[in-house]
Amino acid sequence: MAQPAVVAKGLSKRFEVARRGAGVGAALRALFRRETEVVDAVVDLSLSIEAGERVGLLGPNGAGKTTTLKMLAGLLHPTGGSLEVVGYEPRRRSPDFLRSIAMVMGHKRQLSWDLPAIDTFELHRVVYDIGREDYRRRLDQLVTLLRVSEIIHKPVRTLSLGERMKCELVAALLHGPRVLFLDEPTLGMDVSMQLALRDFIRAYNEEHGATVVLTSHYMEDVAALCPRIVVIDGGALRFDGGLGELTRRIRPRRRIRVAADRIPELAALSELGAVIERHAGSLVLDVEPGAIERVVPELLALPGSRDLEVRDAPLEEVMRELFDRPTEERG
Amino acid sequence: MGVRTTARIVGAQLRLSCLEALAYRVGFWSDGVVGVLWGAIGVIPLLVAIEHRPDVAGWSAWELMLLSGLFMVVSGIFSGFLQPALRASMEHIRRGSLDYLLLRPVSPLVLCLVADFAPWSGLEIIAGISLCVVSLAKLGVSPSFAELGLAAAVFAAGIIALYALGIMALALSFRALRLQNLTDFMETLLDFARWPTSAFSGPLKAFFTFVIPFAVMTTRPAEGLLGRLDVSSAAVAVTTSLVLMSLAWILWRRSLRLYTSASS
Repeated sequence: MAQPAVVAKGLSKRFEVARRGAGVGAALRALFRRETEVVDAVVDLSLSIEAGERVGLLGPNGAGKTTTLKMLAGLLHPTGGSLEVVGYEPRRRSPDFLRSIAMVMGHKRQLSWDLPAIDTFELHRVVYDIGREDYRRRLDQLVTLLRVSEIIHKPVRTLSLGERMKCELVAALLHGPRVLFLDEPTLGMDVSMQLALRDFIRAYNEEHGATVVLTSHYMEDVAALCPRIVVIDGGALRFDGGLGELTRRIRPRRRIRVAADRIPELAALSELGAVIERHAGSLVLDVEPGAIERVVPELLALPGSRDLEVRDAPLEEVMRELFDRPTEERG
Repeated sequence: MGVRTTARIVGAQLRLSCLEALAYRVGFWSDGVVGVLWGAIGVIPLLVAIEHRPDVAGWSAWELMLLSGLFMVVSGIFSGFLQPALRASMEHIRRGSLDYLLLRPVSPLVLCLVADFAPWSGLEIIAGISLCVVSLAKLGVSPSFAELGLAAAVFAAGIIALYALGIMALALSFRALRLQNLTDFMETLLDFARWPTSAFSGPLKAFFTFVIPFAVMTTRPAEGLLGRLDVSSAAVAVTTSLVLMSLAWILWRRSLRLYTSASS
C-alpha cells in the first residue's frame, strides 16, 4: 500500500501575540510594558491524506487553515503532536523533503517584481539543481498548459494578477513536487482566470499524481477541485469527508430549481418546501430529502414546466450555516 | 550544502540582483554616481588629518592610505553585498515572504545573505584595491608570500566577523521586526575602521578589537602587508571572528525556530 502523503497526529500550534489598546497612550505604554496573549491557532489536529488526493481545507478567517498548511510545509514548527509529510518531518526542512513539496500563496509572491518571470525560473533551475534538458521540458509543458509563453518574458510588475499567479505556479512546479500546498491561489482573480487555474490544478494532479492541499475563500474552487473537505474551526478539526456528506449533514434539504409558464402563489408553495426565489417564470425551493419524491412530480405538473434541477445546497450556504452554529453543535 | 552548490546558488542570485539593478536605467546610473562620490568624500577626513600632522598614532601618510584602501574594500563589501542583503531579508521577515526562501532546498542563511546586491559597490572595492597597490608602491614595500598569506587570512577573518555581526542583526529582526536601521548603525560604526586601532585607547580599543572588531578588519591586514603583524595577533583576530560567527550561527538557528511568518 502506498505511503500516505500527510499524517498528522494531535498537531498543535500556539502563538504568543502582542496586544495593546487603541490610541497614542496605549502605543506609548506598550513601548515599556508589552502585553501578550496566547493564541491556540491549531489544536490537536489529526489528519491523514493519501498520495494523489485533492483536499480542501475550509474554515472561517483565523480558523487555522494557513497555520496548518505552513506546518505541513515546514515553515512553522508545531508546538505539539507529530507530523509526517511524504515520510519526512517537515520542521527539519531536509533538502529532499523541500524538493518534494511546493507552496503557492495567493497573497505573497516569489517572482522578482522588476524582472520577467523567466529570470526567476532560471534561479529555481539552479536552486533545485534541475538539469537543463529537464528544465526545458518541464518549462515547455507548464507554459503550454497555462498558456503563458508570451507573458513569462514581460516584467512581473506589468502582469495582471491572474497572469502573475500563473507564473507563480510555473515557478512552484518546475521541480516536479509530489505535494502541492495552495493557499488562496485564486485570490482576487476574475471568474475566467479562476476557471483556468482550477482546470490546470486538476490536470496537474491527474497527470502527475501529485497530492494537492488547498485553502480558498472561494467555495467554488473547493467544490470544483476537492472531492474531500476538511473543515477547521477555532484551530480544531470539525469535519473530514466528502463534499456531499458535509452538505447532507449540515444542510440536508435539496435545492430544486424549475422554470414554468405559471408559478403558484406563495401560500401554495409553502406546502412543497422553503421558497428561496420566486419570479414570474422560475422558482427555487429548498425541499426536505424525504419530500423530494412527492414535490418533483408536482413541480413537473406545473404549466410549461421545464429545466427542473435537483441539487445540494451551495457550499457557501452550507459553510455559513455551519459557522453560524454554536461551537458545540458544529462537530 | 557543498561549496560548489553554494557557489552556484550565490552566482545565480547575484545574476538576478544584477538584472534587477539594470532594470531601471536612471536608478542604475544615479547609484553609480552616488557610489563614486560617496567613496571619494570618505577619503577627505583622512586627507585633512595627514595635511596637519605627519602621522596618526604612529602611521605615516601612505600607511594610512593603505589602511584607507583596505577600508574601502571592506566598506564596498558591506554596502555592496551585506547591507542590501540584510535589508532585503529583514523586509522578507517583516512581510512574511521569507516563507519562499525557507521553502527552497538550500540553506536559508545563504539565501538571505545573497538576497540583494548593489553592483556599483564593486567600484569602491576596485578603487580600494588600487589605493592599496599605489600605497604599497609609494612606501616601497613588497610583501612576501608569507606576509600576503597572513594579511589575507586576517582580512578574511575580518570579513567573517562583519558577516557574523550582520547575521546577528538579521536574527534579532525575527523578534523585533523593524531593525533595518541596525544596518545603518553598522555602517556608521564601520567608519571607525578607517583609523588604526592604535588611535584608540582603553575600553574603546578593546571594544573595536573584540566586541565589534571593525578596526581589526583593516588594521591587522594592513599590518600584515607592512610586515608588522605577528602570528599571535593574527590568531587573536581569527579566533575573535570564529567565536563571533559561532554565536551568530546559534542565534540564527534559534531565531529561525521562532519564525512565525506573517498571517495571510
